[in-house]
Amino acid sequence: MNNIDSDSVQVMDASPINPFAVPETAGQKAATLKARFAKILSASGVKTADAEDGPTHFTFGVGRIDTALRGNAAADGLPKAALHEIHAAEKTDMTSAAAMALLLAERCREGKPILWITEAEEAHRQGRLYPPGIAELGIDPDTIIHIDAPDNITALRAAADGVRSSAMGTVIVELAGKRPKGLDLTATRRLSLSAQKSGVLNLLLRRDSDTQDPLPTAAFSRWEISAAPSIPLEANAPGHSTFDITLLRHRSGLYGLSARLEWNRDDRIFRDRQAGEAAPDLGTVPALSADRADHQGARAA
Amino acid sequence: MALFLPYLPTERIIRARGQPEAPFALTEKQRGAVVITAPDRQAVALGLGVGMKLADARARVPDLLAFDHDSLADAQLLDRLAEACERYTPMIAAAPPHALILDITGAAHFYNSEEALARDVEDRLDATGYSAHWALASTPDAALALARHGLKEGAEGQLPVSALDMDAKTHQALERAGLYKIGDLSDRPRPNLAARFGMELTLRLDRLLGVEDRPIDPIRSLGNVTTDRRFPEPLTHIDAALNILEELFTEASEHLEQRGQGARMIRMMLFRCDGDIAKLGVETGAPTRDPLLFKRLLRERIDALNDELNPGFGYDLIRLSIVAAEPLAVKQLKLEGGEDLEADEVALVSQLSTRMGREQVQKFQPADSHIPEQGLLALPALDAPPPTPWEIPPSNNPPMRPLHMFDPPQRVQVIAEVPDGPPHRFTWRRKAHQVIRYEGPERIGSEWWQRKHGQQSGKGGLTRDYYRVEDIRGRRYWLFRHGLYGEEKANPDWFLHGLFA
Repeated sequence: MNNIDSDSVQVMDASPINPFAVPETAGQKAATLKARFAKILSASGVKTADAEDGPTHFTFGVGRIDTALRGNAAADGLPKAALHEIHAAEKTDMTSAAAMALLLAERCREGKPILWITEAEEAHRQGRLYPPGIAELGIDPDTIIHIDAPDNITALRAAADGVRSSAMGTVIVELAGKRPKGLDLTATRRLSLSAQKSGVLNLLLRRDSDTQDPLPTAAFSRWEISAAPSIPLEANAPGHSTFDITLLRHRSGLYGLSARLEWNRDDRIFRDRQAGEAAPDLGTVPALSADRADHQGARAA
Repeated sequence: MALFLPYLPTERIIRARGQPEAPFALTEKQRGAVVITAPDRQAVALGLGVGMKLADARARVPDLLAFDHDSLADAQLLDRLAEACERYTPMIAAAPPHALILDITGAAHFYNSEEALARDVEDRLDATGYSAHWALASTPDAALALARHGLKEGAEGQLPVSALDMDAKTHQALERAGLYKIGDLSDRPRPNLAARFGMELTLRLDRLLGVEDRPIDPIRSLGNVTTDRRFPEPLTHIDAALNILEELFTEASEHLEQRGQGARMIRMMLFRCDGDIAKLGVETGAPTRDPLLFKRLLRERIDALNDELNPGFGYDLIRLSIVAAEPLAVKQLKLEGGEDLEADEVALVSQLSTRMGREQVQKFQPADSHIPEQGLLALPALDAPPPTPWEIPPSNNPPMRPLHMFDPPQRVQVIAEVPDGPPHRFTWRRKAHQVIRYEGPERIGSEWWQRKHGQQSGKGGLTRDYYRVEDIRGRRYWLFRHGLYGEEKANPDWFLHGLFA
């Protein structure tokens, strides 16, 4: 796990005593000047470009959930500068979980690219991301930088580098298995600290995970995603992408929040399917949706 | 300058196994007979030569040892030696089987004269156990011929006519005409020679005499900008070597700045004083002159090495060359802050590509094919072309293409109500799925024009009928029937090609 440790920032600092050090370049001079300038500006009360960040939170666009997720925070929804976990309920729900990760990333990327890191072998076995399908969800596949990592450790290292770079909008790292090698409290803590520093949303996408007894991580929230029956279109054709989402864990103790969401590609927004919507016909109402019909709630304690 | 290594194959054996007790030779099977291809020094002294049958040779030297000749290993060794000679000049060509050509024009300023350089080469080769003849001449062919025959510059006239390297018949004809040496030929009028032996002979003669120059084909092309450092005392610390590389890059980037260029590909060579060379390459996603970025990429590259850099007895020459450069304008950063996001993105992509290999970091591009699995390209993000717009799906439609695709498609067992109808139930990974909704078929024909006789019916490949189906749990699948029932196939197979969100 020490692999992730290597903090390139520290390595980069050339010490002045080192006779072989690169002399201070124009870039470094500009950086020092800029820092001094920013200090002066902030002292005089002028806002610098660095300070003017975009929204700090991202939402589903569904008022009921976003307000419930507010907790003690200043804004609705989930904090952007954090690590969130997305679990697939079952193996075959992986596509829904991946779509949810992509859609959340799309909702808060502000024109920056999405870094998608996956373990190559697993992706080959379980189905690869298919760009025309990404375009069908309303996301431009050009915004995605896709990485086939040879193993989990490399994937996590790449994620750590991605999260540190504020040029990225979102970093999604996809790991398979109940106990992926290298994924532990330390690694996730490091990811979430980097995310806090850089403001990059980091999503950890897990397939085949044990949602009953998940690995302890430093993630801000943990979600379980499964596919849900869609509202049929004409001639009983399968409808828009529909998800069942359940909040498994939240830093401020929320629990039991669940919803059925439908993605509206044209408005780039999720629609709450629970608000008085009749369950799909054919008399085959999945038992799960009955359980999750009302979000019990609110907050613990 | 040419280097001729007459005992290269046998000295390779001696280096690998130590000096055998008896004279030995390398042999090869030629037309059913075992023939000597490379005798060692002792064997040559005993009168053995190339082309002699092993049985004959054993009759003369009973205790002769024989080993198999591995000409591939010789070629590799020659290439390695060529690389080792890159410390003298970047223009090096291998002249198989046993010679190297070095273009040392303007490269001798570290030595007092070209002879001193040549002697240095000889000493180094000698230290590693290879004996070499060298010769200096104004053209590569002349130098090569002189080195082969153990002569020095100016002695071209004493070369035998076989140095022309024509076929045996021509050589014989020349000797029969009383022309034994190149010197005999050089005085003769060229037209007569050309009329008798062909233009080829006069051309080769001119090359030998240094009248006509032939460009050599160097093993590596010259870099755009090359900087190097030589050390009287070898460097034994990696960190010091890396610092030198960074300094060299800073130096090279000053040159690049004057030209308004940035480096895309950087090649580094660390010459160890015992002849070993470590080669490193770094590629960036966009032209750069940033030493910090270079430093980061260099560290990545070194971390990703399979076997660590080992300075051994130390590096005595470190060279950095910019192999590919692209225009890079000076960029004005905003004074009030704001980050150069684009540069940061490129830096990240370069860093990850350096660590994992350029093929692993990809960007997607649409491809011109209606076959679903061929409709995309995953190109290395390092040199991805400018983005091509993707087809925008019509509004208010559900996704028609899956988010995850299986390649190859996965076989499923399907029960349909009618053989050419939609699926009713299907079994995938030993689990049954009940289809409650479907849409289709979307018929996708094969690329019959790609096949031989594809225009004839039945030879154009199988048509696919795609169905978008949803099962009772709400999962959406993309299934297809491979082949039209009854027309193309009696009992078409079904495949699962993708999963929808």
